Amino acid sequence: MATIATHLQDQTEAAGAAASARGKGTVDLRGLTKRFDGVVAVDHVDLTVPGGSYVVLLGPSGCGKTTLLRMLGGHATIDEGEFLLDGVRTNDVPPARRDISTVFQHYGLFPHKSVRDNVEFGLKMRGLPRDARRQRAEEALRFLDLTPMADRRPRQLSGGQQQRVALARALVTEPTVLLLDEPLGDLDRLLQLRMRIELRALQRRLRITFIHVTHNQEEALAIADQIVVMQDGRIQQVGRPQDVYRRPANLFTSGFMGDNNVFPGTVSAIADDEVWVEGDGLTLLARHDGAGVAAGQTLHASVRASSVSAEPALAGAANSALPERPNQILATLVFLEYLGDIVKLHCRLPNGQTVVAKRAENVRVWEDLVEGEPVRLEWEPHDVQLLLA
Amino acid sequence: MSSSSSRSVTLADGRAARTASVSRQRLATGSAWALLLALPTAWLLAFLIIPVVVVVVVSFFEPTLSGFNRVFTLDNYRLLAESDVFIRTLSNTVLNAVITTVVTFLLGFWVAYYLALVVPDLRRKFALFIIALAPFFTSFLIRAIAWIPMMGREGLLNTALLNLGITSQPLDFLLFSDFAVRVAMIQLYLLFMVSPIFFSLSTIEPAILEAARDSGAGWWAILTEILLPLARPGIVIGAVFVFVLSMGEFATVRLIGGGKTSSVGLGIQNFVTYIQFPQAAAAASILVLVTVAGVAVLFRYGRVAEGL
Repeated sequence: MATIATHLQDQTEAAGAAASARGKGTVDLRGLTKRFDGVVAVDHVDLTVPGGSYVVLLGPSGCGKTTLLRMLGGHATIDEGEFLLDGVRTNDVPPARRDISTVFQHYGLFPHKSVRDNVEFGLKMRGLPRDARRQRAEEALRFLDLTPMADRRPRQLSGGQQQRVALARALVTEPTVLLLDEPLGDLDRLLQLRMRIELRALQRRLRITFIHVTHNQEEALAIADQIVVMQDGRIQQVGRPQDVYRRPANLFTSGFMGDNNVFPGTVSAIADDEVWVEGDGLTLLARHDGAGVAAGQTLHASVRASSVSAEPALAGAANSALPERPNQILATLVFLEYLGDIVKLHCRLPNGQTVVAKRAENVRVWEDLVEGEPVRLEWEPHDVQLLLA
Repeated sequence: MSSSSSRSVTLADGRAARTASVSRQRLATGSAWALLLALPTAWLLAFLIIPVVVVVVVSFFEPTLSGFNRVFTLDNYRLLAESDVFIRTLSNTVLNAVITTVVTFLLGFWVAYYLALVVPDLRRKFALFIIALAPFFTSFLIRAIAWIPMMGREGLLNTALLNLGITSQPLDFLLFSDFAVRVAMIQLYLLFMVSPIFFSLSTIEPAILEAARDSGAGWWAILTEILLPLARPGIVIGAVFVFVLSMGEFATVRLIGGGKTSSVGLGIQNFVTYIQFPQAAAAASILVLVTVAGVAVLFRYGRVAEGL
């Protein structure tokens, strides 16, 4: 087993060459299921996490993401299905025998032990002689800039330092997979922003698999190689941050990722690379190859708030006839929310639905808009996402 | 108070008003504290400090047949120190207290562990805790007396043993013996050990135990590395409770010891019965001294302040 220091060495030596081979710490889940008193918490989850990647499990509380993480860590039993770690069935391997460590929510640091003893604990439990474990603990402490506070107790440290102790304690046993349960949840917002970059950098340096649970969309987008969106114990969508953000696969993901305008409608026509959807009072035109879509089908179309442009319309026009072009509608500006970088325009359609448009603050069109006045909303066909599921 | 009065004035005025009201409030809390603490202080002074001083003073007075002369003497202590009976009684009292403390810890720790960490929800925790407290709803004396029909020659246990053919004649040591006294005291004081350990263990986050398991700790390592160190303040406080209560025992010893066994407390009561106040006072002073020494040892080696 290599130490953290040699991990780093390996990295520099193998910089170009070894990028090809699939790293250790590959996680394969096949039909993984967990029930609590008959309630399904994790429902036949199939997922492959490539070794050395940063995966974020994202979902609202109670979606099963933490339970899934606990099953991987060995802290919850697997009722059904298979968990393969680097191809080896790991369902019934006790937590300490898995090459997996967990950073627990609220960290679970031992309050009566010094930082050093906290970090050493896993090595002590593995029966390493005193000198060896002292040396490896020192390395881990140095690696995470904790050497100056090695003799302090956890409660004498700041939140960010406590988090680093939890990381050092988990990493000292050199796992190939690190599980992180809401690791940024206890930190204030500024520290969250800093630590998420540090986590990402740490994962790149170690080149081991990180599986990170959060309910924070922005955190997931900022950190992940792959986002796994979960709801009701099932995986809703797996993809790169930009895939999940731009092309939500279904109504849940579209709603959960935030600031998507969702329109119900019926497919009225399918052309080569265009699908026409007749909504309530507006026509949507989507750039779409038509796969899985049939005329007459009811579905939802989603348009990101940042894809909706808004400009002032003539007074009185809001009550006039429907606009003739697709992807365009007259609405009333109800509320202009100034957020610094961006301006959020809350508009009401004639049918009562609210549509949100997000515009860059430095594009000054928004300054011509007046609350209570009509506004013309418009978007491009390639910004319309059809939600088939 | 301040917020409603300062709402209408300007910001600067408001700040001044708030400062004034804060100091007024501090003054008010100061005198409120004095008032709140005066009564307990007076109470302690009247019913603990002064009596203890009186007892210590009387222990140095010369005894007479029906009281004492106010003449200084060390005879009371010298006689006790030279008395084999008193030395034996004292060591038996300490032994009983130590055994009671150790056994209540060995039994009580698991009860506390179960309540604090195994029972999942708070309501069930408290329900079980109330059930555990149930014996305390009856008087202390009744609980001690209740041992007699249980453990006596013709008591429940002996009858059962005889009927089952396990013994051929009633076991006498079940009642009116040191053994019986210890068993009874353990039962009576178990909850004084359970409660503080329960509260200590309740503060342990589940994530701490999971992290230990994640690091490869087995049940023994979790017990010795995590649970016992974190429960230490509760264990020490529980031990102090049980030790102090056991050291002062006389009712249980009288009822369940039945004259076959003794304690310093019982001895003091006998001295008082025979109006030998100076001897009673000297014995009491020695008992308090030994008890305080025991408590000091517990606090010293329990390092209780560190864990709080």
